Amino acid sequence: MTATATPQRRAPRAAGAAFAAARRGWRTRHRTAGSVLDVVGFAIVGVVVLTALVGPLIAPDVYASHIQNARLAPSAAHLMGTDDQGRDVFWRIVVGSRTTLSAAVITVILYSVIGVLIATVAVLAPRWIGDMVMRVVDVMQAFPSLIFALLIAALMGPSLQSSIVALAATGWVVTARLLAGIMRETLTEPYVEAARTLGVSTWALLLRHVFPNALPTLWVKWAGDLGITILLIGSMSFIGAGAQPPSAEWGAMVIAAKGYVTSAWWGALFPGLAIACTSMGFALVGDAIHHRLSHRVKGH
Amino acid sequence: MNEEILRIDGLRLAARGPDGAIPLVHGVDLAVRRGERLALVGESGSGKSITARAVLRLDDDITASGSIRVGDTDVLTASERTMRSIRGRRVGMVFQDPLSALDPLVRIGGHIEPLFRARGMRPVVARSETAKLLHELGVPDASRRAVSFPHEFSGGMRQRVVIAMALAGDPDLVIADEPTTALDVRVQKQVLRVLAESTSRRGLAVLLITHDVGIVAGFADRVAVMYRGRIVESAPTSAFFSDARHPYSQGLLRAVPQLDRPGRLLPLDRASIPEPDDDNSVLVEVGQDHLVARSALAAAPMGAA
Amino acid sequence: MLTSTPARIAGYVGRKVAGTILTVLVLAVAVFILIQITPGDEAVAAAGPGATAEQIEQQREQLGLSGSLPQRLVSFIGSLATGNLGISSASHGPVTDVIAAAVPVTTELVVVSVILSVLVAVPLAALSAIRASGRGEELRRFLIVLVCGLPTFWLAMMLQWVLGAKLGWFPISGRYTIGATSVPTITGSTLFDAMLVGDWSAMGDALAHIALPATVLSLGFIGPAYRILRTEFITAAHRDFVTVARAAGHGRFQLLRRHIVPHVMTPLLILVGIEFGSLFGGAVLVESVFARDGLGAMLTNAVAQKDSTVVIGGVLVIGIIVVVVNLLVDVVQTLRDPRLRSAEMGV
Repeated sequence: MTATATPQRRAPRAAGAAFAAARRGWRTRHRTAGSVLDVVGFAIVGVVVLTALVGPLIAPDVYASHIQNARLAPSAAHLMGTDDQGRDVFWRIVVGSRTTLSAAVITVILYSVIGVLIATVAVLAPRWIGDMVMRVVDVMQAFPSLIFALLIAALMGPSLQSSIVALAATGWVVTARLLAGIMRETLTEPYVEAARTLGVSTWALLLRHVFPNALPTLWVKWAGDLGITILLIGSMSFIGAGAQPPSAEWGAMVIAAKGYVTSAWWGALFPGLAIACTSMGFALVGDAIHHRLSHRVKGH
Repeated sequence: MNEEILRIDGLRLAARGPDGAIPLVHGVDLAVRRGERLALVGESGSGKSITARAVLRLDDDITASGSIRVGDTDVLTASERTMRSIRGRRVGMVFQDPLSALDPLVRIGGHIEPLFRARGMRPVVARSETAKLLHELGVPDASRRAVSFPHEFSGGMRQRVVIAMALAGDPDLVIADEPTTALDVRVQKQVLRVLAESTSRRGLAVLLITHDVGIVAGFADRVAVMYRGRIVESAPTSAFFSDARHPYSQGLLRAVPQLDRPGRLLPLDRASIPEPDDDNSVLVEVGQDHLVARSALAAAPMGAA
Repeated sequence: MLTSTPARIAGYVGRKVAGTILTVLVLAVAVFILIQITPGDEAVAAAGPGATAEQIEQQREQLGLSGSLPQRLVSFIGSLATGNLGISSASHGPVTDVIAAAVPVTTELVVVSVILSVLVAVPLAALSAIRASGRGEELRRFLIVLVCGLPTFWLAMMLQWVLGAKLGWFPISGRYTIGATSVPTITGSTLFDAMLVGDWSAMGDALAHIALPATVLSLGFIGPAYRILRTEFITAAHRDFVTVARAAGHGRFQLLRRHIVPHVMTPLLILVGIEFGSLFGGAVLVESVFARDGLGAMLTNAVAQKDSTVVIGGVLVIGIIVVVVNLLVDVVQTLRDPRLRSAEMGV
């Protein structure tokens, strides 16, 4: 398993008895910091996922305007105030969680699939094709997805879909490179070569040995990626290359509220805070998974 | 002038581990007089390297007790500032791996000149002194090659540069920590010769750390053997080779081919070596300047190899 | 090899430039393909609403959209090579002019941000490396990760609101106070032009306007830079040649200067190359919030106005900039490391 950059972290307190048993006799000084963050991460993600699933079912209509209630400060009736159309900010965030989260999930699935396919091609195809693919990968890696999103938005009209397309089109690059590396490395392992001499087909090799080997790294990546993707989707909506108002996508909410931030700060602060917390939660979860998996590999 | 340049008394060293301190050296006494060459011999893990490094306090994660005196300065209680004045200027060190000892981004001359400039020389003088020193150590075409980069030098050449770095500060003592271990056998001889000649030319004391008993004979005046963090024997070289008393020393000698003792080489028989502890490691005098751990006297004398 | 040193360097640079041109070509082809496969008729969009069939045909001609696929590709690459990026449907002027006015503005922002990032991240990382563990260190790392992980556009808005509007410490938008002073246009960047001319009050004004945007943008780079530099400092400090130098009597500061910092610069440089693209992306967000008329604003406005020629031109130019920066990083790296110099150029 290729090593990703090792964070200089302390071992989290074992969650399950199995871990505790394995770690008996390896005491650490800093148990609490790491494990608290793990819990926080999982909690945030849990809340967001729950909200995305259940929220829109119980929320009132967040698209209808009630101008008479415009820009009300946070209160008991409106937990996070109302925006300039008189819509409740809190409920819009709740409804928007499904928009934002589902867009992020679709994006990650899309580019992961593309990345896996391209990596497989690069590794299995004749050398020169693989090299050319990697060259394209190198070129694309540096290109900012935000700018690409603007291009796609110009070509197909800005929408949540256009931002998903843009992210999928730029996101596969890192996955492909990562996977290609892992695949190449695994394919040179002795046990794989042994299997091959025994006549096992390449496909079977891939499915049974290579991909499962890559899974731990991928899990960590997916968790972190969801956070980053939520950030990017929000950013794209913000610059007008993604979801458009009156969408409840969090980024769209922020840009819509930008004009009156001095008079009604809650309209911009809360959706942005939602993006910040959610992406941080996913990042923490990614770190937590990384810990557990790397400790298991090290045999601690 | 038999003054002691280096004197180590009751040195105990421990490494800081995640679960507490790991003791590595358990009470070492050692002395090197001016101009003398002492070889500290032992296997990996015996503690000889960290003892040597402790003289310059190079390892920040090691705790020490006892005393290490360089001249009249106690290294273990000295300030970092004092240490800086000792390193290179009173005690120079030659390291084991020439391939990693030099900064790949810095020219050869650039490794040595700052040391001369630290002695107050002007840059021009420092540069010519550098070339002179390199030439003395056998670097051909020294002044031209001083502007090369380390990767253009072979292992043996790089080690000469490391030796130059140890000598540039005009020290009284040079500690050589396994200076030839990473080199080819043929190059080993050359580098040892260079080290011997340059130090004797300057009247320097040398503390040679090595696991190779074979290179000791032609180099050192005295030998001290370290085993499991303790000195188990120390003697003048000839006495050591002819009359080693401790089972461990004898085992080491039996593992090295000697011209006057044909026959098979024998691996070390650990069972015959008494486990050293604070009690049985007290050194006892058995001859002129020849000390052995008490445990050796209790052990049955070994038969002829 | 009997070639002289200048010849060898020229050969190396030549090879690199050729590679870059190839990459740019690939980029252009990729953009071209993208244009072809996305739904939507650029000619219609470019001609604007209410255009006659004639005007649309004209646009089609201009945009090189008539003719077969290979023909169009050739004319596309051709016009790129000659620097013709088309006509903006919004301003009806050449796209190159629009871009040329915007590039210096974004450049000054990115440059100031990178400088700021380096000035902050390097000492922080060095400090962290020296105190590699402990409560304070963990807190420091956590805070840095936290602050740098905040959404750029949101942080920009919040700072603009709190520090700008509420407290009035910084101007809230624009690059300079209109009408305060006038600075001749040399580079197109008010900040650099003021520095070049020696107009200190104008420079101060430009700096005040760039302070918040640059700070926000720099955070995006400080995060990864701090993390990587910290590791690099620790690694560099443990290298054998540092111990050897220390044993030879070098003081801590000397060690840092001579043996550690040069080795840390290389990863930093590589990081700049890697992160440069996302710096541009961040610049788009920051320019949008602080109403700075750089490439970011140019692109977002073009999207809103359906001015696709400007968007395509802008994207290509940004792509070229990113590729060139990566080339520069590559070359500088090779020149700095004598081992790479030997390998690549035999010098």
